[in-house]
Amino acid sequence: MKLSIDENRCKGCNLCTKVCPYTIFREGKRLNRKGIAVPELDRPERCANCRLRNLYGRQLCGVCQLTCPDQAIHWVEEEPYEPHKVAIEY
Amino acid sequence: MSYDEWFRTDRLPHIYCAGCGNGTIINCTLAAVDQMGWKKEDTVFVSGIGCSSRAPGYILTDSLHTTHGRALAFATGVKMAKPAFNVVVFTGDGDLAAIGGNHFIHACRRNIDMTVVCMNNQIYGMTGGQGSPTTPLKCLSSTTPYGCAEPPFDLCELATAAGANYVARWTSYHVKELEKAVKVGLETPGFSFIEVLVQCPTAFGRRNKFRQVADHVEFLKSHSLLKAKRDRLIDQGQPVPEDMFVVGEITKRNRPAMGVKP
Repeated sequence: MKLSIDENRCKGCNLCTKVCPYTIFREGKRLNRKGIAVPELDRPERCANCRLRNLYGRQLCGVCQLTCPDQAIHWVEEEPYEPHKVAIEY
Repeated sequence: MSYDEWFRTDRLPHIYCAGCGNGTIINCTLAAVDQMGWKKEDTVFVSGIGCSSRAPGYILTDSLHTTHGRALAFATGVKMAKPAFNVVVFTGDGDLAAIGGNHFIHACRRNIDMTVVCMNNQIYGMTGGQGSPTTPLKCLSSTTPYGCAEPPFDLCELATAAGANYVARWTSYHVKELEKAVKVGLETPGFSFIEVLVQCPTAFGRRNKFRQVADHVEFLKSHSLLKAKRDRLIDQGQPVPEDMFVVGEITKRNRPAMGVKP
């Protein structure tokens, strides 16, 4: 699973930057074509739900998705054999 | 995700201001409704007038957008005509406490089997920030420019006194707790009332030093006092902080309910 932010729905309130326990979301700098600074993802491979959702078979954490007032945060399935970074947490 | 299919996706993004917490509450409510496993054709969302009452327009099920304050009256009608339907009411503080106050206490008294989610932003947001019955003391609004001089309603105490079966209060910061509270409310036969304190950066925050959304959410987080902790403070004889509001499950009881699904 990987995180994705829907640029058409996001209104740039930056609530996700406050609630994520891993602080994956960062305030965006670049304006999109609607004039909204959509938050950026900072090392999204640390997200617990991204890593372990399929292993546990249930939703883990998910606070960002519940908090997002504009329903802009989703998890999408990865393509098979998509290259991705591995986060090691001690 | 799972509750995404309850949204009318062609209507999104919705009309709420950036940073408004109403979308958060819709998410939590729909997540709880989705866990109940209800069918979309057996679920009705009812709302009155106000910011909060735009919510059923973004939900795929049948919904009623009714006159100001009369959401509970219409919901009572739906429940009496079709007891098999699951009725969820979205309402705001101006809708529920001000103009619909009488409907509210009588819906609590009758203990009709429905769930009411009150998005309490402590102001009339849609019409330009007039003071509502839940505006806290000394807060500024366009009708109270020198600070609100009237004590506010405590909606949870009101619902408890009027006889609701399940009463809870959370804020838009406590999303997981809110989801669980709504789920318990949906499961409880009888009237379930969940008050959600929500940030309003446009009407309330602009006049009350919460122009930044994060400041208001931080205020909601730091000024919420768990009910268990409040009870502990009272037991120990210590003073309860006056500027804090109680969150948690306020009431859960089993009074005889009306219109329960046969």
